[in-house]
Amino acid sequence: MSDMDPREFEIDHLLQRSMAAPVPDLSQDFEQRLADEIQRRSQPIGPRGRIVLIGYGMISLGVSVWVMRDQGLGLPEAAAVIGITLALMGAISLALRSRALSDYPSVHPAGNKNHHRSRD
Amino acid sequence: MESDAQLVVRAHGDDPQAFAELVKRHRGHVFSIAASILGPAFIPEAEDVAQEVFLKVHRSLRSFRGEAEFKSWLFRITFNEAVNVRSRVRYRRPSCDESALQLALAAGPGPDQEAESAQRKRDLDECIQRLPEVYQSALRLYYWLGKGVAEVGELLGIPENTAKSYLHRARLLLHGMLKERGYSNV
Repeated sequence: MSDMDPREFEIDHLLQRSMAAPVPDLSQDFEQRLADEIQRRSQPIGPRGRIVLIGYGMISLGVSVWVMRDQGLGLPEAAAVIGITLALMGAISLALRSRALSDYPSVHPAGNKNHHRSRD
Repeated sequence: MESDAQLVVRAHGDDPQAFAELVKRHRGHVFSIAASILGPAFIPEAEDVAQEVFLKVHRSLRSFRGEAEFKSWLFRITFNEAVNVRSRVRYRRPSCDESALQLALAAGPGPDQEAESAQRKRDLDECIQRLPEVYQSALRLYYWLGKGVAEVGELLGIPENTAKSYLHRARLLLHGMLKERGYSNV
């Protein structure tokens, strides 16, 4: 960093002074908490939870079909609307998940909205 | 010592020890990236990001095909997650009491100089917030977390020379912004 111009040198000093805060560390029990959370999330839904979920799904489906039929849609159309919506939701959630795991962030500053062009 | 790739293969086969070793090996880096994006006022949030990243990785290990290095993949997920969290916490009150930081920073001998120094620190913080995220991250990794230029590059997934150039440009941008705010002697 010896090839700095005087402006950079000033800022370098200022940053060294103003960022001289204590370096944080992860808490001691981080790994234990992570292991507990993995354990908690990987537990399958119990029989009671499964019954509640299936019941909720069935009731929602029934109400949706009833409302759509009440609005004049036939059974095949109502089933198609529900099927398409579910398929869309599945595709969007899959796409979001794979994007979160594969996209590279705006590592190039030009891609960032906050970018301020250097006047040099 | 086993490579990351070997540990990933073992973790695939539901070996919790292998995953624990991966966590142990990379938790510091993951936390540093998260902290560098969220800043010193959001340390608990950075820890939450680190936890969420490892949970995501644990869940998605099967989808990791080994086309990229494991740690590049991990750091990429961390950057994304931290940027997402940052956009959510941006307007929230900081978790950490910044007066503790201010105390550590106020080195002025008199009250006037202390006040001036604190004001300059606030202005500098505001200017840093206006920089692109990757510049902010590079600055915090280098100046706050004490990483070398090569490590800054590794954590951000960019070559060392690019990291050096980001630091250079970030300093020049900050210089210009502070000048605009009336600081003739930065």
